[in-house]
Amino acid sequence: MRLIDRRVFLKAAGAGFVASLSPQAVHAVEAAEAVFATAYQTRDGAYGVAVLSEDRKIVFSADLPDRGHDVTFDPVSQRAVVFARRPGTFAVVFDHTKRKQLLTIASVEGRHFFGHGVFSPDGRLLYATENDYENAAGMIGVYDATDSFRRVGEFPTHGMDPHELLLMPDGRTLAIANGGIETHPDFGRAKLNLSTMKPSLVFVDRTSGGLIEEHLLPPALHQLSIRHMDIDAAGAVWFGCQYEGPAGDRPLLVGKAKPGSDLALVDMPEDVLGGLRNYVGSVAANPAAGTVAVSSPQGNSMAVIDTATGAVRSSLSLKEVCGLAPDQSAFMATTGAGEIVDPEGGATEMQDYVWDNHLLRIM
Amino acid sequence: MLRTFSAMATGLLLLSAVPAGAASLDSKAIVSRSVADFVRPGYVRFHDATTALDKAAASLCKAPSEASLEAARTAFSSAIDSWSQIEIIRFGPVTEKNRLERILFWPDRKSIGLKQVQAALAERDRTASDAKELAGKSVAMQGLGALEFVLYGTGAEELSGQAGAFRCAYGAAISKNLDDMAGELAAEWAGPTGFSAKWQGFGDQNPLYRNADEALTELLEVFVNGLELIRDQRLGGFLGDTENADKPKQALFWRSGKTADALKGNMEGLKALFDASGIGPALPEPSRWIAQSANFELGNAINAAEAAKGPVDAALANPEKRGKFAYFGVVTSSLSEIFGTRLATELGLTAGFSSLDGD
Repeated sequence: MRLIDRRVFLKAAGAGFVASLSPQAVHAVEAAEAVFATAYQTRDGAYGVAVLSEDRKIVFSADLPDRGHDVTFDPVSQRAVVFARRPGTFAVVFDHTKRKQLLTIASVEGRHFFGHGVFSPDGRLLYATENDYENAAGMIGVYDATDSFRRVGEFPTHGMDPHELLLMPDGRTLAIANGGIETHPDFGRAKLNLSTMKPSLVFVDRTSGGLIEEHLLPPALHQLSIRHMDIDAAGAVWFGCQYEGPAGDRPLLVGKAKPGSDLALVDMPEDVLGGLRNYVGSVAANPAAGTVAVSSPQGNSMAVIDTATGAVRSSLSLKEVCGLAPDQSAFMATTGAGEIVDPEGGATEMQDYVWDNHLLRIM
Repeated sequence: MLRTFSAMATGLLLLSAVPAGAASLDSKAIVSRSVADFVRPGYVRFHDATTALDKAAASLCKAPSEASLEAARTAFSSAIDSWSQIEIIRFGPVTEKNRLERILFWPDRKSIGLKQVQAALAERDRTASDAKELAGKSVAMQGLGALEFVLYGTGAEELSGQAGAFRCAYGAAISKNLDDMAGELAAEWAGPTGFSAKWQGFGDQNPLYRNADEALTELLEVFVNGLELIRDQRLGGFLGDTENADKPKQALFWRSGKTADALKGNMEGLKALFDASGIGPALPEPSRWIAQSANFELGNAINAAEAAKGPVDAALANPEKRGKFAYFGVVTSSLSEIFGTRLATELGLTAGFSSLDGD
């Protein structure tokens, strides 16, 4: 299987997959209960995307041709898009209320998706992080949601390996995490430039594609890949990093960015930082609670940070934790071991599912 | 360095939920044996090979001739053989100071390294012919890839005569720099205070390996990540779905005809490590078949690589040899399943779905 080129496989498999109602979904309650969205893998190795209710039940699911990554949601049309995990070449638009058919977006020649995207506030445009892999250049692909997600343009991210992107509260500025790691589909997920990588966090005007600001880490931290972000109540971008340098190093992994100010890394107690094992897998803010949470599936732990002071409020050991989304005054967490853990610590394990890296709150 | 399991391996890894648990194995003994019987001797052999290479390069520069050029090429070939076995170790000292990239910068997809090497040769850059100064230059100019171009690339024939004096001096500096790094690696793994002590001394106070599972996971990842690298990066880089999609010049060591040898060395390294670790005999009787399958498939991979020996472009043009590469890929996938799924589950090290790297 692996010898078959991934892209060729997708071309072959792309037409065949269909939406499916999981047994749970048949019995599920109204779509109004739909609260969280996440990609998953079933225990028999199939991939899909699910929408979960507050009480941790699946209210919608659809098959995917390969592993998905993050989901983005448009509250205007109530549609969501799940992106293939890098270096995937598909994204699937779905309507969890099932009023509309699934729609598959294929990446164009010379590009693949990186797993994240975001809608414009009016829901008319979709922006996706993509790899111009021949030129090792990060791109934002722009898709017209009113015209079957036709690709209408692209602009550069001014860095390599753009991963997560967010829309800032002004509705116009995109925050983009350029992870800085060069990859090429010819060599799978191999990292081609670890000695020279240069991650950045950039702010780009989505209407013009123009670079507003570029934030770089100090040269000594050039192997600290900035990958995931969320925005707090004050409009600051909190980001989480993955360190590609020696495992014995213990760089800070979480930071804060805001247009007009320098990047700042947040100090953490040694045991909390050590527990993250140089790898933050997702970042989620809870603006109402004044917190941001970061997770590490490599360290089997998560930490909750006070956004006003930058102090760690709490940390928790949880096997394979990665997906995080705000819930009440805390966070819902999902794990690669198949658990969904609510803020009170109530855990549901669905026998047939393990959860992918990200959990999105859609309402 | 990366606590990861391949995507392909994890698919099936989730099936079985009742592992025997690493606790039933003597993790300390497994790690100790791996260090004593594979890692340390592996780096010592690589160091011996680079020392011989350093000498052969110096001899070539002193007395250039067809014979001394041949001797240098033979020493280079031996260095690749020993490196291919030990390069499966991608954690610890080799990740410090960019050594992994400095010893072998590959793939050089946009020929950045090649251009730098060619520029150094064209400009007779004196600083490139000094091992100490070279160590501070671009990683792509320092290692086995750069030396391969010096010894086999366009213009290499001048090495057998006086006209190749600068080219030879640059090659000698690369060899010396490689020997310096190989010496550091051997030294940093040796002795009671070396990296070995960290790996074997897992426990609460050890930030790198907090418990037996983390130490054992490091070992298992050598197999899981190594197999993924061999298949996706090394083999997948040049072997297409069809002959038309083959890219022989994207193969590692295509200039020196060492592509298949390097693949073979990787598999020999994995086999030697698996043997050294003693994991196989330590498995409970009902699970011994996992070790038998692993050994069987590692043997198949080694044989397939051996049968595909020679210049890679010629091998790809020969249906029988090309088939050996394809088979090597199939076996590598099978090995990913054996190590990433069967053995991981048996050891209770089911690093799961979310901990894949870089996402």
